[in-house]
Amino acid sequence: MPAPKIDRAVVLHVAKLASLSLSEAEADRFAGELARVVAYVAELDAVDTRDVPPTAHVLVERLPLRKDEVKPCLSREDALSQAPEVEANGFAVPAFLE
Amino acid sequence: MPSERDVMRDATGTPPAENVVETLTQTVTQTVPQTVTQVQAGEVTAESVTQRSLARIAALDGEVNAFLHVARDQALAQARAIDQKRARGEPLGKLSGVAIAIKDALCTRGLPSTAASKILAGYEPPYDATVVARLRAADAVIVGKTNMDEFAMGSSSENSAFGPTHNPWDLTRTPGGSSAGSAAAVSARMVSCSLGSDTGGSIRQPAALTGTVGLKPTYGRVSRYGLIAFASSLDQVGPFATDVRGAARVLGVIAGHDPNDATSLDAPVDDYEAACGRSVRGLRIGVPDEYFSGGLDPEVASSVRHAIDALRDEGCVVKAVQLPHTRFAVATYYVLANAEASSNLARFDGVRYGLRAREGNAGRDLRAMYGATRDAGFGAEVKRRILLGTFVLSAGHYDAYYLKAQQVRTLIRRDFERAFEEVDVICSPASPTPAFRLGEKTDDPLAMYLSDVYTLPASLAGLPAISVPCEPVHSGLPVGLQIMARALEESTMLAVASAWEARSPARDLLPPLAGRA
Repeated sequence: MPAPKIDRAVVLHVAKLASLSLSEAEADRFAGELARVVAYVAELDAVDTRDVPPTAHVLVERLPLRKDEVKPCLSREDALSQAPEVEANGFAVPAFLE
Repeated sequence: MPSERDVMRDATGTPPAENVVETLTQTVTQTVPQTVTQVQAGEVTAESVTQRSLARIAALDGEVNAFLHVARDQALAQARAIDQKRARGEPLGKLSGVAIAIKDALCTRGLPSTAASKILAGYEPPYDATVVARLRAADAVIVGKTNMDEFAMGSSSENSAFGPTHNPWDLTRTPGGSSAGSAAAVSARMVSCSLGSDTGGSIRQPAALTGTVGLKPTYGRVSRYGLIAFASSLDQVGPFATDVRGAARVLGVIAGHDPNDATSLDAPVDDYEAACGRSVRGLRIGVPDEYFSGGLDPEVASSVRHAIDALRDEGCVVKAVQLPHTRFAVATYYVLANAEASSNLARFDGVRYGLRAREGNAGRDLRAMYGATRDAGFGAEVKRRILLGTFVLSAGHYDAYYLKAQQVRTLIRRDFERAFEEVDVICSPASPTPAFRLGEKTDDPLAMYLSDVYTLPASLAGLPAISVPCEPVHSGLPVGLQIMARALEESTMLAVASAWEARSPARDLLPPLAGRA
């Protein structure tokens, strides 16, 4: 398939999906760099992958499942110890509901 | 640049000064097993081993920048506790008194763990990674956290938010990456072993470029619990050491099933050290043509071929093998690793740990806070990879890039399955060139990615692989022989690695800088 065009608008759209605030100058720079990398990875098109199953993970078949049991975990104090802002025994964030 | 005559030999050769070499033989060339034996026998204290390590860090790290954080007080307290344990007659662990450095991507309770990112500046995890807990339980002494490419994304350490690490063999060059500090600290003998992590070559490539032994275990062999995730289907923690036995000793301590990591394998842990020194007569070594073609430095090629010839002289059978999908490994890796990274790095949002942007809209609006925090906290390469990863997973591109790369990953695995029907291990260069200059590839992300071409395939296939020093190039820079094996056959790999090490002309070589402290 033809390589998709990667310009500032595409980069800003993807950045929004990834929760990254980019300046327009950054977006322009990344557009050029990403276009080159995407053009390079398009070489995979040349590989015949008909009837080839995808590998999401190696050795999955060997992984044991653990029992679903209640076990000790981090204390609330430890879990909150690195938070930038704590309020009422929880992680505090700017309001997101009106 | 070090010339042959600057290179120090600890056992033979002409020393620059008597007293320097005496210090070298006493402290610098000590291997992990030797230190453990001496500490257990009471010939040296854990405290004195730790003091020596801290003194070497103080003397050398201003130029090398291997450490982001030196845990002086905690290390000395830990060492004294080990000495007291011995004084009480209690048995000591398999790493008694060994000073070890830990890549900053691994969580260490009460010590900064930043993955060399501004977004985690000041983060002190409330828990230890499983591998760190196992090191402590084995009486190793953690002397500090090492520099790396931010979130392990890079091959030179130039993506660290805290400045690059310099190669002890030539301070104008990179030690490789991403586990740069862990490799450089061992190379300069600030420590005799360290932990790194390897997603696409981040242990093996820096080991090759610094003349150290670096081992990536089978995927699932070592717990990832507490490793700050880059690409979860590829990441593995593994050791660096001054010699193969040292790496084997550390691997034996950190390997094994961990219920806290759902991808951790419940398979018995071999006696890896016993495999070192085992006869390799009759073992079949595969040499893939694809790893000796375009882009390979001719001096690196001849050094690696010399090592393979030496293994033939030890009774190994050398055969050509084909790994035809090798040339697609870089593209496959960059799609899959960055897709996974874009998902893993979503957790850095200014809520539970690390940096939070507060200015302007970020103080009032949640989405603006996420975006501004991530823009301020992540470096350029991390953003580039998050964008690429998000792009290949986004609507309309998933099948063409992500699914396609997963299918090619299957073909790369099948290449190895076929080859390992014919041979027991596969030997190749670990890196196409010796250490390149800092700044040489920073303007060309793609050229940097291509420097991982020989390490990526084993990562994609989840196989164990090791880099062992072989003959340096003419300028004196180190070269690494990569040995890959079937899943969970670390012992076979270590037997071959140690057979080569015993004959390697690189065996007693130290960087000139190591003799200065």
